[in-house]
Amino acid sequence: MRIFAFVLLIISMPSLGFSYELGNRVLSYTLKNGLKILMVERHLSPTVSFYIRHRVGAVDEIDGRTGTAHLLEHMLFKGTRTIGTKNYHEEQKILKLIAETGKELDIEKMKGKNTNKSRVQALSERMEVLQKKHKKWFVKNEIDRLYVENGGDNVNASTGQDLTTYHVSLPSNKIELWARIEADRMTGPVFREFYSERNVVMEERKQRIESEPEGQLYEQFLAAAYIAHPYRRPVLGWPSDMRFLSLEYTEVFFKRYHAPNNTVIAVVGDIDPANTLTIIKKYFGAIPSRHLDPSLITEEPPQNGDRRVDIVSDANPQMVIGYHKPAMPDFDDYVFDVIECILSKGRTSRFYRVLVEEKALAESVHAVNGLPGAKYNNLFAIFAKPRHPHTNAEIESAIYDEIEKLKIKPATTRELEKVKNQIKADFIRSLNSNSGLANLLSYFEAVTGSYKYITDHIKVIERVTSEDIMRVTKKYLTPDNRTVAKLVYKN
Amino acid sequence: MFLVPLCILYGTLAYTAERAHIPLPKPDELKYRPIHFAPPAAERVLLNNGIILYIFEDNELPLLNISAVVRTGSNYDPIEKEGLAELTGTVMRTGGTDALTGDAVDEALDFLAGSLHISMNRDSGLINLSILKKDLDEGLNIFSQIITRPAFEESKLKLAKNLLIEELRRIADDPKKLAFREFKRVLYQNNPAGRFPSATSVTSISRDDLIEFHRRFFYPENLMISITGHISKEEAVAKIKQYLGSWNESRKYNVVPPIPVKQKGHIYFLSKNTPQSIIICANFAPGKKEPDAYPFEVLDFIVGSGGFKSRIFQEIRNNLGLAYSTGSFYTKRSEYGVFGAYAMTKSESTAKVLLLLRSIVEDAKTKSVDKKELAWATKSINNNFIFSFQSADQIARQQLMIEYDKLPPDYLATYRDKIADVQPEELKRVAMKYLSPDETVTFILGNESAYSQVITTFGNVCRIEDQL
Repeated sequence: MRIFAFVLLIISMPSLGFSYELGNRVLSYTLKNGLKILMVERHLSPTVSFYIRHRVGAVDEIDGRTGTAHLLEHMLFKGTRTIGTKNYHEEQKILKLIAETGKELDIEKMKGKNTNKSRVQALSERMEVLQKKHKKWFVKNEIDRLYVENGGDNVNASTGQDLTTYHVSLPSNKIELWARIEADRMTGPVFREFYSERNVVMEERKQRIESEPEGQLYEQFLAAAYIAHPYRRPVLGWPSDMRFLSLEYTEVFFKRYHAPNNTVIAVVGDIDPANTLTIIKKYFGAIPSRHLDPSLITEEPPQNGDRRVDIVSDANPQMVIGYHKPAMPDFDDYVFDVIECILSKGRTSRFYRVLVEEKALAESVHAVNGLPGAKYNNLFAIFAKPRHPHTNAEIESAIYDEIEKLKIKPATTRELEKVKNQIKADFIRSLNSNSGLANLLSYFEAVTGSYKYITDHIKVIERVTSEDIMRVTKKYLTPDNRTVAKLVYKN
Repeated sequence: MFLVPLCILYGTLAYTAERAHIPLPKPDELKYRPIHFAPPAAERVLLNNGIILYIFEDNELPLLNISAVVRTGSNYDPIEKEGLAELTGTVMRTGGTDALTGDAVDEALDFLAGSLHISMNRDSGLINLSILKKDLDEGLNIFSQIITRPAFEESKLKLAKNLLIEELRRIADDPKKLAFREFKRVLYQNNPAGRFPSATSVTSISRDDLIEFHRRFFYPENLMISITGHISKEEAVAKIKQYLGSWNESRKYNVVPPIPVKQKGHIYFLSKNTPQSIIICANFAPGKKEPDAYPFEVLDFIVGSGGFKSRIFQEIRNNLGLAYSTGSFYTKRSEYGVFGAYAMTKSESTAKVLLLLRSIVEDAKTKSVDKKELAWATKSINNNFIFSFQSADQIARQQLMIEYDKLPPDYLATYRDKIADVQPEELKRVAMKYLSPDETVTFILGNESAYSQVITTFGNVCRIEDQL
C-alpha cells in the first residue's frame, strides 16, 4: 500500500529524452472482451516484465469477510485445472469433500462456548484424512515452479485497498509461458490447500502487525480516521474474520471481480509488440467479459472534530497525523504532491531542517500523500518519531507550527522550482527498469482509467502556485479534519 | 445467499464454453526460440593515479549513475569505536567540504534533484551519485570534493551521532532487526563482524576519529568507480580525470580484518514479549572463491531459497501453515559464506518449527536429491542469470565487484556451466562438510512461553541479553 502511495508522488512528465516521448512509446489496446493491454518496447536486456492489475481490493469486501481479497491472491498460486493436478476429475471429488468438511468445521467452531468439542475432533480427523488423500492428486506450487524454472524473476503478487496485482519478469523468449499461466489462472484457478493457507495469512498478520508496533499504530490510525468508508479496515483483515474466511465466498469474490473487463496488463521490455499481442489474444481473447456490478462503497461522512487514539505499547513513542482530502485526479491532490515534497523530501525540506536539525526534536518526520488507497478520497499523513527525551506532544506541536507557516507565508519561487525539479527527476529514475515502468503504467491505468495520468502529471504540477498551497493547507489541514494516533508507553 | 451457487454455476459454464475451442498446451511442452546471452561487458580503464573505472554507455534516459566502491567498512571499526565507519560515511555526505558548507551541498543537490548517498557495509563503502546529464559537472564537483576533501563539520557530526543513538534505541521495537543483529553477534563471536555500535561507542567518537578514518581509507588506489548512463567512454574518462585525476595520495595497505571462525553449536535465546518467534539456524559455508560454492548454492536453493518449491517452504508453510516467512539464505563473501535456515512462527509452535528446520537440513545429508529436483534447481538458477544484467549500472557494478572481490576474470562467463555441472552426490557431500549440527548456531527470539518449550524440548539453551 505504501508503494502505491510512493508511486503517486513521483509521477510527472519531465522535459527530456525518453520520458518526453513516453506517451508516444506506449502502445495501448483493448481486446473485445474489455481487457486493456499496454506495451513498451525496449531492448537493453533480453528480459520482459509483466504486470496484471485487477480492479479489486480490500475495499470490495463485505464486513465480516475482511481479508478475502488478500487470501484470494494467495489462492491464485495454488494452480489451475490444468496446472498442478494429476487428474482433475478425481481431484475435484476430494476437493468437494474437503470444502464440505471445512465448512462444517467452521460452523461448529464459530459456536464459541457452545462448540461441540468431540464433533470438532471428529471433523478435524476427517479433514486430515481427506487432505492426505488429496496429496495423491495434486502437485504443489506448480505455477511458481514453472516461472522459477524458466528464469522468472520477482514472481509475486500484492493486494491493496484498491487493486490486486500479479507480476513477474521473464527472459524475453518466454512470453507464451506467462500468457498460458495467467490466462488459465484468470479463468480456472483451483483453490487447493485453502484451510492451511488461512493459517499462513494469520502468521502473516502476526508478523506484519501484531509483532510490529508500527503496524499496530497504522492499523488503529486508519480505523480511527475512517468511520464508514472501507479504508478503515486492514487489507490483511481483522483476526476474527480471517479465522473463518469462507471458501465459497472467496470463489464468489473471484468470479465477480477477476473479469477481463476489470483488468489491465502492462508488458515492458525486449518484445515485438505485434507478436506479443498475437500471443495475448490467443490466450486471453476468448475469456468472456462479465457484467460488473460496482461494489457498494460507503462514502466517508465529513469529519467534524479532532480524533485522537492512543495505542499502549512497550515500544518507543511515535505518531501518525492524518487529514482527509480528495483523491486524484482532483487538482488539490496535485497540490498535496507538492506540499509533501516541501515538507519532507530531502535534507533541505522543512520538516528535516526544523524538526530534525534546528529543534533537534525528531528522529524522522515524513509526509505521505494518498493513504491508504488512491481510488477514493484519502489521507494526507505525517509519520513522526521523537528523539529521546522529547515526546510525541512536543513533536506534534512543532509539526503544527510548520503547517501554520504554510497557511500564511507563500513558498518562495526557488522552493517551488526545487520541488518540481525533484518530482521530474524521480520520475525519470523510476523509468530505469522494465518492471518499474510496467508497474507505473498499469497502476495509473487501473486506478485513474488512463496511463496518461502519468504523462500529464507534470503539466498540472507546473501550474501549482504558492497561493494554491496556502489555499489547500487552509482548507484541509485543520484540527477538525484531523486524526492523531500515538504509541504510548505501557506503565 | 441464493446468488452464491448461481454465480459459481455461471462461471463454470462460461469457462467450459470458452475452453471448448482452445486446447491449452502443456506449459512444460511450450517451445521457445533460443536466447544466446553473454554478459555485456563494461569498459575498464586504469587512471594514472590508480583509480579503476568501469564504464557502460546507455543513452535511453538523460541520467548518469556514478558509484565509487572503497575498500573499507565497519569491520575496520576500532574496538570501542564501533559506528566509526558509518559516521564517517554519513558526515562525509552532510558535513561539507573545504569549499562548500554541508548546508550548501544539500541545497545544491536538492535543487538539481540529484541524489548522493554514502553507505558503509561490513567490508566496503559505497558512494553513489545519480544526476541528470545536464548537471553532470555540478554533480561531479560535489562528488569529488566529498570524497577527497570532506570538512566533517562539528555540528553535523553531533547531529549524526544523536540520530544514530536514537536509531539504536529503536532497534528493539523491530523484532526482525533486533533478531538479525543479535544473531550476528553470537555467530561472529570474537570477530569484527560480530561487533555493533552502542550508545557508549558512538558517544566516544570524535571528529578527529573521522578525519583519521577517512585518511586511512580514501585514496585513489583504494577506490573503484563505475560510471554508467548517457555518456561515452571518452567523455567519462575525461570527466573523472578532470575532477579526480589530480588526486595523488598514497597510503600503506590496510590489514584486512580476520575472517570469522566456526563456533561450537549452541542454542541462544533472546527474550522479547512478542507473539511470534524468530528462529535462525546457521552454519559457515563456502566462500565465493571456493569450488564448493557452486554445489552449495544449488543445495541452498533446494533446501530453502528456491521459492515456493523449496523444501522448507513446502513443509513449514504449505503443508503445515506454520509460517508466512520461512526458507533459507546463503550469503557469500569472497572468503567465506553463511548458510541459515529460518522461520517466523507463532510462539506456540516454536519448538516444533525448530525440529522441522533441523530435520530438513539433516535430510539433505542423508538422502540423495533426485534428478528432477536437481534439474529444477540448476535450470532455475541459470535461467535467472540474465536478471543480474538488467540495467547499465548493474552491468558495470557486477564487473567491478568481481575485481573488488579478487575473483577470476571469467567468473561470470563460467558461472552457468559450473552450476549446470553440479552432481547429486556433491550436494550430499557439501551438506555433510558444512552443515554439522555440532557447529550450528541456533538463535531464537521469542517470549517466555516459547522459552519454556525450547528448554523442555532441547535442554541446553543459552539465554542472552541484547546489547543496545
